[in-house]
Amino acid sequence: MALKRINKELKDLERDPPSSCSAGPVGEDLFHWQATIIGPSSSPYEGGVFFLSIHFPVDYPFKPPKVNFTTRIYHPNINSNGSICLDILKDQWSPALTISKVLLSICSILTDPNPDDPLVPEIAHIYKTNRPQYDKTAKDWTQKYAGKNIA
Amino acid sequence: MYEYSEDEFMAEGDDFVYSASDYSEIDDGEESAEETPNQRSQPVGTQTQNNTFSAGAGFDDDDYYGGEGGEFEPVIASHSSKKPWEVDFKVFDPNELRAKQEAIIGRMEPVLATSKDATTLLLRAYLWKDEPLVEDYLTDPEGTLTKSGISIDQTSPCTMSGDPDFVCEICFCDGEEEEYFAAPCGHRYCTACYHTYLVGKVQEGASWRITCPTHKCKMLVGEEGARLLLKDDEENLLRYNSNLTRSFVNDRDSFVWCPAPNCVYAIECHVARSALYTTVPSVECKCGNRFCFGCQIADHMPAPCYMAEKWLQKCRDDSETSSWMKVNTKECTKCRSIIEKNGGCNHMTCRECRYEFCWVCMGSWAEHGQHYYNCNRFNEESSKEARDSISETRAQLERYIHYFTRYNNHEQSAKLARKLLATTEKNMEQLQRELTLSWIEVQFLNDAVDVLSICRSTLKWTYVLAFYMKTDNQMIIFENNQSDLESATEQLNDLVENPTSHGAIEDIKRKIIDKTTYVKSRWETLLTDTALGLQENRWQFTI
Repeated sequence: MALKRINKELKDLERDPPSSCSAGPVGEDLFHWQATIIGPSSSPYEGGVFFLSIHFPVDYPFKPPKVNFTTRIYHPNINSNGSICLDILKDQWSPALTISKVLLSICSILTDPNPDDPLVPEIAHIYKTNRPQYDKTAKDWTQKYAGKNIA
Repeated sequence: MYEYSEDEFMAEGDDFVYSASDYSEIDDGEESAEETPNQRSQPVGTQTQNNTFSAGAGFDDDDYYGGEGGEFEPVIASHSSKKPWEVDFKVFDPNELRAKQEAIIGRMEPVLATSKDATTLLLRAYLWKDEPLVEDYLTDPEGTLTKSGISIDQTSPCTMSGDPDFVCEICFCDGEEEEYFAAPCGHRYCTACYHTYLVGKVQEGASWRITCPTHKCKMLVGEEGARLLLKDDEENLLRYNSNLTRSFVNDRDSFVWCPAPNCVYAIECHVARSALYTTVPSVECKCGNRFCFGCQIADHMPAPCYMAEKWLQKCRDDSETSSWMKVNTKECTKCRSIIEKNGGCNHMTCRECRYEFCWVCMGSWAEHGQHYYNCNRFNEESSKEARDSISETRAQLERYIHYFTRYNNHEQSAKLARKLLATTEKNMEQLQRELTLSWIEVQFLNDAVDVLSICRSTLKWTYVLAFYMKTDNQMIIFENNQSDLESATEQLNDLVENPTSHGAIEDIKRKIIDKTTYVKSRWETLLTDTALGLQENRWQFTI
């Protein structure tokens, strides 16, 4: 069942790819994917290419996929291990959600971080009290870690 | 003691009302459970499961709940056999809990004029607080239903049907003819996926809060829907039902589960949070476990919850170790090693850094020259303050140790009392054999051990109360009661431990029975005094 559903999602992604992200299996193993997100244009991540790894549990889609950033990113809801604090990846997961919807949600927290529920309180604090500083650091990190030349 | 005024009763939720029919049903269940054999091995299980071994006959539930379908009755409060320290409570087994839910639902259904499923879900969503529910529902029925995740249209229940063109968005089982299921919101998924989804949630402990799988859809699947999906899955249906019962207890302030391992009973007791400062709601489960309803730790009468918690924290804390260190040790001013002076003169040499200093003023020894015992800095203002603060800490520490030793002594003795129970049973058998007494005639030993163990528990906590009490005349009265009970308890302990070494058996038996009665009455006096004292704010506490 999980395999059938993953195949279906893969086909849908190929047929109708979302504008700012892509995803697909890493090798033969369909339960392990890699995804890329292009930094949204209205954010300090603009122009960056961010890689993510996706692991599907065997009881997918009844349990959420495990999604992590493999590219470093300066963000209140993403820590240095690449873990993402996003409700739909935890208790708000619904089996009717798809990887494509998850990636779009991740894009939207890049544009609008949620500093009230932070994974990295220090970054959230700077985001709330000194926006220009936050913008600058996030931009610097994007250039340093997610620059096109590296990708 | 917590007395209910009639008004409080009404305010606290009149769901404590029993109709005559469901009441008698519950009562029957309890009586049969009373005969379970595990009663015997419990410390205070000889009489009824009521929370007392009052001198009179144990009063049954009719006394507690006033019988006849009326309110949770003020008559009880003035009932002559209810002691000031007792609270009213009732033990429920899982079947009784289900019956209680059914009774509340049955009572609310005509009030709300909704379907049974909707009434149930509304009550659960409102955590069984019927007053706000009725108020909200009668003001805005549709809003209340929507907010709680219940369909407005009572005629569109869950559907389970087939459709050849249907594609499930979870498994994409396209092409095959599939049976689908939908909650009242109409979001359809194939029955197999819905079932897997529901079972996943049930195994995580969820019950009525399970919603439609659609992202952001708040519609509750409901009991009717869940039963439909689980109709061929008995194991998970059982689990679902037990989760429902669990949430019924967990969602309500007036219910707690008995904290004993593997115990299935729940206790209902109406004590307001604010009353916990002056009342100790000690309850006893049918399994024999005595605990405090307010904080669910072992019975800590007569100390109120906040005090018991603070005390246990204090005992766990290293803070006492550190105050010992403060009194008995000093730090080397150079390397900060902790030094205890265990003899010798004031010329100290730190073993770690070889720094030489004076123990009195902590200054470098070099400045003292040859005047060993004449540290002229001793009387300086700063050293004097340091000395004062040390002696104050020392006094506090001694006070703590005084109370802790006694507290701990009763705790240890209570443990020994449990062992004593085993030897007592042996003694009783011996008496039966040697003196051809009947089983009933040797029960007095067992009663004595029960009284001993509960008195130990109470005595233990009186030391906590005393530790936090400010010294005044009222405290002296309290301490007199305490010492009366303590000496009587010790005497009884001695009699029970060696029953045969005190003379002829008839004599001993009379002595033990007399002493047991006396200890009981001292115990009751002490508890009455503390219960009333706490309510009257008779004592001043340091916390």
